[in-house]
Amino acid sequence: MTASAREADAALTDQLVATVWSGSRYFKLGFLLLGAGSLGFAALIAYTFEVGIGLWGNNIPVAWAFAIVNFVFWIGIGHAGTFISAILYLLEQRWRATVNRFSEAMTLFAVAQALLFPVLHLGRPWFAYWLLPYPARMHVWPQVKSPLPWDFAAIFTYGTVSLLFFYLGLLPDLASTRDRAPERWRRRIYGIFALGWRGSEDAWRHYRLAYLLLAGLATPLVISVHSIVSADFAVGLTPGWHSTIFPPFFVAGAIFSGFAMVLSLIIPARKVFRLENVITPRHVDACAKLLLVTGLCVAYGYAIEFFVAWYSGDEFEIEQFFVTRPTGPNSWAFYLMLCCNVVVPQLLWSRRLRTNLKLLWLLSLLINVGMWCERFVIVVLGLEREYLRADQAAYTPSWVDLGLLSGSVCFFLFLFLGFLRFLPIVALSEVKETRRHLARARAEGAAAGG
Amino acid sequence: MTELFELHLRRRDLGRLVAASVALSGLAACAERREKIYPYARRPPGVVPGVATHYATSVVRDGFAVGVLAESHEGRPTKIEGNPEHPASLGAAGVFEQASVLDLYDPARVGGARGPAGLTSREAIERDLAAACAKGPPPWFVLEPSSSPSLERVLAALRRRLPGARVSFHAPLANATRYAASELVYGRALEPQYHFEQASVVLALGADFLDGMPMSLRHARDFAGRREPGPAMSRVYAAETSLTPTGTLADHRLGVAPSELERVAAAVLAELATMSETRVSLPDGLQAALAPAAPLPEAHAAFVRSVVRALVGARGSALVVAGPETPKSVQVCALLANAALDAPGRALTFVRPVLLEPDGGAPLAELPDALRAGAVGALVFAGTNPIYSAPELELGALLGRAASTWCLAHVEHETARACGSVLAESHYLESWGDARAGDGTLSFVQPLIEPLKPSVSVLELLAGLASDFPASGHDIVRETEHERLALGLGKPKIADFEAAWEREIQRGFADRGAAPSLSPVLVAERAVPALASALAASHAGSRASGGQDLELHLARSPTLYDGRFSENAWLLELPHPLTKQSWGNAALVSPRTAGALGRRTGDVVELRAGPRRLEAPLVVLPGHADGAVTLELGFGHAISENLSNGVGVNALGLGVAPGAAAHVAVRATGTKAELALTEEHWTLADDEVVHELTLRDYTQNPPHFAQNLAAQPTLLEPFEYAGTQWAMTIDLSRCSGCNACVVACQAENNTPVVGKDLVRQSREMYWLRIDRYLAGSADEPRIVQQPMLCQHCEKAPCEYVCPVNATVHSPDGLNEMVYNRCIGTRFCSNNCPYKVRRFNWFDFSEARGATVLQRNPDVTVRERGVMEKCTYCVQRIRRAEIAARRERRGLRPGEVVTACQQTCPTGAIAFGSLDDESSEMLRRRREARTFAALADLGTRPRTRYLAKIRNAEHEEAGS
Repeated sequence: MTASAREADAALTDQLVATVWSGSRYFKLGFLLLGAGSLGFAALIAYTFEVGIGLWGNNIPVAWAFAIVNFVFWIGIGHAGTFISAILYLLEQRWRATVNRFSEAMTLFAVAQALLFPVLHLGRPWFAYWLLPYPARMHVWPQVKSPLPWDFAAIFTYGTVSLLFFYLGLLPDLASTRDRAPERWRRRIYGIFALGWRGSEDAWRHYRLAYLLLAGLATPLVISVHSIVSADFAVGLTPGWHSTIFPPFFVAGAIFSGFAMVLSLIIPARKVFRLENVITPRHVDACAKLLLVTGLCVAYGYAIEFFVAWYSGDEFEIEQFFVTRPTGPNSWAFYLMLCCNVVVPQLLWSRRLRTNLKLLWLLSLLINVGMWCERFVIVVLGLEREYLRADQAAYTPSWVDLGLLSGSVCFFLFLFLGFLRFLPIVALSEVKETRRHLARARAEGAAAGG
Repeated sequence: MTELFELHLRRRDLGRLVAASVALSGLAACAERREKIYPYARRPPGVVPGVATHYATSVVRDGFAVGVLAESHEGRPTKIEGNPEHPASLGAAGVFEQASVLDLYDPARVGGARGPAGLTSREAIERDLAAACAKGPPPWFVLEPSSSPSLERVLAALRRRLPGARVSFHAPLANATRYAASELVYGRALEPQYHFEQASVVLALGADFLDGMPMSLRHARDFAGRREPGPAMSRVYAAETSLTPTGTLADHRLGVAPSELERVAAAVLAELATMSETRVSLPDGLQAALAPAAPLPEAHAAFVRSVVRALVGARGSALVVAGPETPKSVQVCALLANAALDAPGRALTFVRPVLLEPDGGAPLAELPDALRAGAVGALVFAGTNPIYSAPELELGALLGRAASTWCLAHVEHETARACGSVLAESHYLESWGDARAGDGTLSFVQPLIEPLKPSVSVLELLAGLASDFPASGHDIVRETEHERLALGLGKPKIADFEAAWEREIQRGFADRGAAPSLSPVLVAERAVPALASALAASHAGSRASGGQDLELHLARSPTLYDGRFSENAWLLELPHPLTKQSWGNAALVSPRTAGALGRRTGDVVELRAGPRRLEAPLVVLPGHADGAVTLELGFGHAISENLSNGVGVNALGLGVAPGAAAHVAVRATGTKAELALTEEHWTLADDEVVHELTLRDYTQNPPHFAQNLAAQPTLLEPFEYAGTQWAMTIDLSRCSGCNACVVACQAENNTPVVGKDLVRQSREMYWLRIDRYLAGSADEPRIVQQPMLCQHCEKAPCEYVCPVNATVHSPDGLNEMVYNRCIGTRFCSNNCPYKVRRFNWFDFSEARGATVLQRNPDVTVRERGVMEKCTYCVQRIRRAEIAARRERRGLRPGEVVTACQQTCPTGAIAFGSLDDESSEMLRRRREARTFAALADLGTRPRTRYLAKIRNAEHEEAGS
């Protein structure tokens, strides 16, 4: 390696680690606001624990509503991280290096939100551990025909693997941070978390193998988690839920929403931290293309749902799709979903738009809204109109529902802000490796051409 | 008021909880409650802990008794059942009987006594009252109508002691019209008795004989016996203004405004008077008297023609029933029509009037003038609330003119508020009494419990004033009965009276206590001119009003009666059988009338009758008569501490008595009311859920609804059933939607009341609800009522989605709910296609104080966060099984009866084991009209329904 390359690497490391040392005033303000929001979130959780979920808008027949919608939404967001980190890694998509740390952090925090809701949503949340197959005195096990214990297991596994994957990828960068820390106490703290990383050849060899193995392990999880989440619905008898298309449809939707969230987060971060040289328009463009592809998968899913409902000839399915969704109570969510998830992504066919970051950011936010609406449509509209027309009721969220949703957004952003502030936000070692890789490829190309 | 659940969260608690959940341990500590319990150390004789005892007693309403059995657990009355031996019950109990037990524990009950100077004792009030009656102008007593022989004796003595004392019998729905009508036709006051088991063709003229008359429970049972599809099936024609349970089960129904009812009745009679078969029994000159002033509308005329054809065809087993609240002319027409159809002595018999002073005693309408004149000494209201129920008398402002005012009241109602002294009235489960059933059967009221609060019954209060009676109600009633039996035997003293008394009390009604049947003779000379003048008068009346006004129809509320149950939370929450409105009433109009007004359900309208007005929300009721508006009584109380405060509007506030002809001007106010409707839309009958067909279609092409459900494919492994296999069959042909089963289920299973706000949020907790379906058009609807409860599916969709095994199958075919295991994911509810599962959104079990005493100790009280649903009354099943095991025998056929089945007046619900060949449940299930709701889903429900069969006329069936 030439000296100039080494210097360039050092400069890049300095640039990327620098975000850890200097927090601007805005950070403090951000922490304060989001911290307050998170405390409000905690207060509402406490309120719900104390009084009961009657505080929400749920009813019979709409026994599931915001909490489950939020759960599926956050779990979906959590998909892009692992998809970028693991699947793109296995497919040797090297551009992922610049965005994978972001998306892994996002995954972790989204899964944390997602884990809250199913527990909070229980009538007696203090017994949530009954969903786990623990060695109980009474020899009562979870009832494994139900998708819910599997759901619990899948989310826990996914959360654990995501955490390990995130942490493993972070190790060399934590060491870089340690090495560059200006004060002793910081060096200590980062040193502890770096687990004594020295950057030896041996360590790198083991590290790469472990990373590859974890990537291999995480890949099926990307598919399985949301497939199992979709089983919560697909196993049910409810018209609009009972559908075999749900697993692939949910996975596509999850990755779609995940990429949208990645863009929503990365575009401002790139600006704030002046990472234009690291996260180039090409990276954003690649994300946008994936958004378009997964968006088309989702649109196809919608079309097939309607087709199958009609083709089945089942009057209840037909009513659910052709009457309830377009005209039933809360049908606004259906139109918003179609608009945000089907119409809006079509703009991404235009390269000009894919590189217009402001517009792209707005669009990614719209897709987030659209994907939340999709879950709302499935859960709430599915339950509002079921078999017995004599016992139908509409759903209206209570202020606690709205508070919990916005609280979870605050808490998610709060955690994410913490990540931006205290950890290297771009995978340094990987970016450096990629650059070297590119340089070598360029040199080889020049040599071959010359 | 409707806010039953207050959320108590203190600042420190909140802080603590915030801290706890910031860590988001998620798995917080268990929420166990610690309470001390004490053993039942000294057992009173005759009480076995855990074993319920039943006592026969009677529920008396407006003077008419219904024999019931009250269930007692360790001395607490918990549930009312019908008395199978009592002729007015036959084992059934209606909504009001079922709900009456809750009033005993009403936290709002008046306790003790209140004098003008504040709280005092019962004895002091009674002493003061005796003194007040003795001096000054004569006292005036306002009592509930009564048929009590003991009260008769007491009143006679009271009148001897206080000459000049006046006694009024007042209740908004009580009237003497039927006596006046029989006076005209038969020359004497008579109590008509209807025998529906004898009637092949019935015409109901504004008569809700299945739910709204003193003998309705019996009528319903007798009627249902003639509703088996087949040649013996009776046919019912109903002409009514609003839609009632009777109209629901009628084969042909005509919605008529109150004035049109009279014309329809007259037209039927006029038609009968022209026919050779029937003319003979009718007085001469009738046809001329009945000549209509204007021709009937074609729909009405067609109805009259087919009614008359059917009635005449069934002469001898035809019956015309006029509602007791209908105008005298209608009732006279009915009596004459019955005479023409040879009904008397068969489907119609008569007894002498059951009530004391059937004309109502001293007219209450004279009270205001007497008060103004200062001619009233002590004014005593006992068991009545005329300030609420007779607002046109404006008694509130006049009470001060009486020398003193006294009120014996169950709750602090409007009249109690206005009176100087108030004394607590005993509940019937706390006091002795006697009364006659609608057919004259002498029945006894027997207490099960010492008064919970110091209180006195009407009988005891008046006996105290008459002062030559024993102090205890028991002794008064016993003495009366002794006198009666002695008189019957012609002896002054009976040797074996003690044994007879014991037997009577045990059974709940008297030996030889039934009223003898009378055979009155038609006296035509007065009836014909009276009818002619009544018809002419009402024609003139209807011509005089006209315009844009609507005819006003005041009706008994099927959930609150006349307002006396206004503090009963079960009844306040109970959804109306047709509108499904809970916590309130409304102005009911037909879809066409609503269209003409340009208003929809929920719009508030102003109704104006003369100087009086009130505002009520509009509810559109398909099948309601056009051009009329119905208001139901019982709502609109205004005592701020009470549960009923501000719930609905007081229909009597317009100053019109029920049954009186009146018009109201209706004007939209532009505001909307928030109604608590448990079913928001009129759902069209759907072949997947209910079936409804005519008798001819049924007999000519028997349907095959009952597919072989066991052959349906399933992914679930076969289940090992063992022993008895519980199942239920519900006959939709018999279900009138009267709600008795709903309240019985609530009482039996400790189902909480949730309040208006939560009902509006669709969170009511009924394990058994009645779904209402509309067949036919909105103008001529045919209603199908379907009791919907847990179907106990053999392949239950709720079971396989529960992650913690909280809902499982039992070997005897029950879908069981394990509350202790439930964590409340609510997946089971989502997956239940029948939506019969209920969730404890809050801690409902702690909601209301003293009512916990009513709870059935055999049924778990559910805590916050668990699911619950119908269990097929598993506690009754297990109790019977334990008894059978102890006696080393198998279960007897019919030994297990569910609460809904037990109380159903028409016997629509049958329950039993699939391996019991003798069971009625199985017999019905083998009929061709059996179907399973949503059978295609493969849930294989154990609950089956029998299609509703209408015995419609053939021409109409074909068209």
